[in-house]
Amino acid sequence: MFASKRLGKSCPQLQDKLPPGITLVKADDFREWLMDIQVMDENPIYKGETYRLKFIFSQSYPIEAPEVVFVRNDMRPIPIHPHIYSNGIICLDLLDRQGWSPVHNVESVCVSLQSMLTSNTKNERPPGDEAFVRSNTQRPRDINFVFHDNSV
Amino acid sequence: MSSPADVDTVGGPPNSPSPLQIRASNSLNSKSHRAPLTKQPADLHLLEYVHEPDSNLVCLICHAPFDRPVQLFCAHFFCKDCLEHAWRAQHDGRKTCPTCRSSVDPDKDLRPVPKIVETMLDELLVKCPNAQAGCAWVEQRVNVHDHVMLYCEATLVECAQHDCRLHISQKDFHKGCLHYTVSCEDCHTSMMKKDLEDHQRTACANRSTNCPHCDTTLLRLHLDAHIKEACANVTIPCQGSIVGCTFTAERTQTNLHEKSCPMATMAPHFRDQQARIERNEARLEPLTRKVGILEDGLSSITNMLYPANDSSTTFPVTNPLDPNISYSFPPTNLIPTPDFRLPPASFPPVPHNESHPSQPPFDSQVHHLLTLHESLRDEVNRIANALTELDGRTNMMVINESQRTKDEMLHTNAAINGMRMQLHWLMSATLQQRNSARTSAANGSAGGSNARSTAQGAGAGAGASVARPGPIGDFPNGPLRRLSDSTRQDTKL
Repeated sequence: MFASKRLGKSCPQLQDKLPPGITLVKADDFREWLMDIQVMDENPIYKGETYRLKFIFSQSYPIEAPEVVFVRNDMRPIPIHPHIYSNGIICLDLLDRQGWSPVHNVESVCVSLQSMLTSNTKNERPPGDEAFVRSNTQRPRDINFVFHDNSV
Repeated sequence: MSSPADVDTVGGPPNSPSPLQIRASNSLNSKSHRAPLTKQPADLHLLEYVHEPDSNLVCLICHAPFDRPVQLFCAHFFCKDCLEHAWRAQHDGRKTCPTCRSSVDPDKDLRPVPKIVETMLDELLVKCPNAQAGCAWVEQRVNVHDHVMLYCEATLVECAQHDCRLHISQKDFHKGCLHYTVSCEDCHTSMMKKDLEDHQRTACANRSTNCPHCDTTLLRLHLDAHIKEACANVTIPCQGSIVGCTFTAERTQTNLHEKSCPMATMAPHFRDQQARIERNEARLEPLTRKVGILEDGLSSITNMLYPANDSSTTFPVTNPLDPNISYSFPPTNLIPTPDFRLPPASFPPVPHNESHPSQPPFDSQVHHLLTLHESLRDEVNRIANALTELDGRTNMMVINESQRTKDEMLHTNAAINGMRMQLHWLMSATLQQRNSARTSAANGSAGGSNARSTAQGAGAGAGASVARPGPIGDFPNGPLRRLSDSTRQDTKL
């Protein structure tokens, strides 16, 4: 109820005015949205690529954080970043239970991820990526990340 | 409201309220103690605002203009309810400002907002929450509560009938219970009495209505078709718009235009082509699926033929038409990147390379499998021929051999028969002698020794030794039988 009310309000707003590099792909319902983001500056790791984000909203959004992951398809790879696993799961305190705040919204999450990519200089996956991707069956919201890197 | 004669009454009101009851329910007293109980006050979060509200008056949590706002000491504003919602979800029990995360003591740090903010909020223009039900009221937000609770005729209240649990809008309250089923006289749809009037005014297909464009009066049933095909005043695009004509005007104008528009004349052909393309695409779909299934089957056959063989060197089968494969293969095998597009050259396909399961070089595999199949068939044929030949030869040999044996057996049989004949002859001769001897013995014992010597001579003549040539003179019958017995045995051996 609360979630659909707020999402219904922000949907037309989003279509009108989104920051550069962020586009709304699909928002048919109040459960799952797809967004595309691009890195706008000259960072060679991400230049010319577009990445697809999937938002899954729970009933209690925005009190509870949405589940945000990168998804892969033919045109959209998973960005290489020391905090993004190759199955698309993002390790970012903003998306975790503790780091989330109800004042965030789809747009602000996209902007945060954009800046997280822009400021990155390491062309690498997180340590232990392969093992994590192979063994992980949990949903992102149930994983307990340890946030240790304050540089991004 | 149509007169009662107009409607087919299926079930009458269970118990029409008496005039007294109606008056009682309309009187202010009764309403104040009965109706307001069931009215829902308007939820300010759900209100529709006439103008887009100033973004400074919007709560960041619910994205609606503040409802009973509070101010935190860090000068951030929220609705009271929203803030409580957010704090209830914080797991560690710590209460922080959702915007700046500074911790908050709800007893000390919640302050009322400045009066001017409240006034601005109160003056926002809103629509009545019952706008869907037909209330056109638009006023300042501060009045919405009073309007909904006291004045709005579309607010739902509980039905006047005591045992009826349904709701009815306030303006129909005095009409008594309208929750019984009637059927529309024009289109025979069943509905509740309270909905009948609305139905006849706006929805019933068999009532006449006016075309909104050309003022023709016609049945509502035909309105859509009329607007789509006949109405002269409807604005429609030129038929050639699918080819790129941008002309758009009222139907009469457009018809004139289409006579001269080359694109409009071409449009039907294009439409036909389009339809054909779509048909073909639809037909292509199952074919593609079929091919996929066949390819899967083929690859599983391949895997069966060469189980767990992922060294590419044992099967250097590549498409001879594509020399790139052999060049590109070694590096791609070492680093299997996800967007690897070139087909894997290994045969059978390496099972762990699953980034593009649908793109292995089926051409070369098919080719290879077919040739393999052909050569296998040749081999089988050859073996079958050799088998037949061998079979014939064995048969001949067996026949020859058995023929020889048969001949030999015939010979033996013949020999045995000859011997038997001889024996018979000898035996009858001996019997004769013996008979004659016995008769002579009966005549005189002098001939006894003579007969014995004759019997001994007969035994030697048959080629066998007489086993026990007992005293013949004492038992004349026994020794005779034994003699013949032993002779026959000897012949057999």
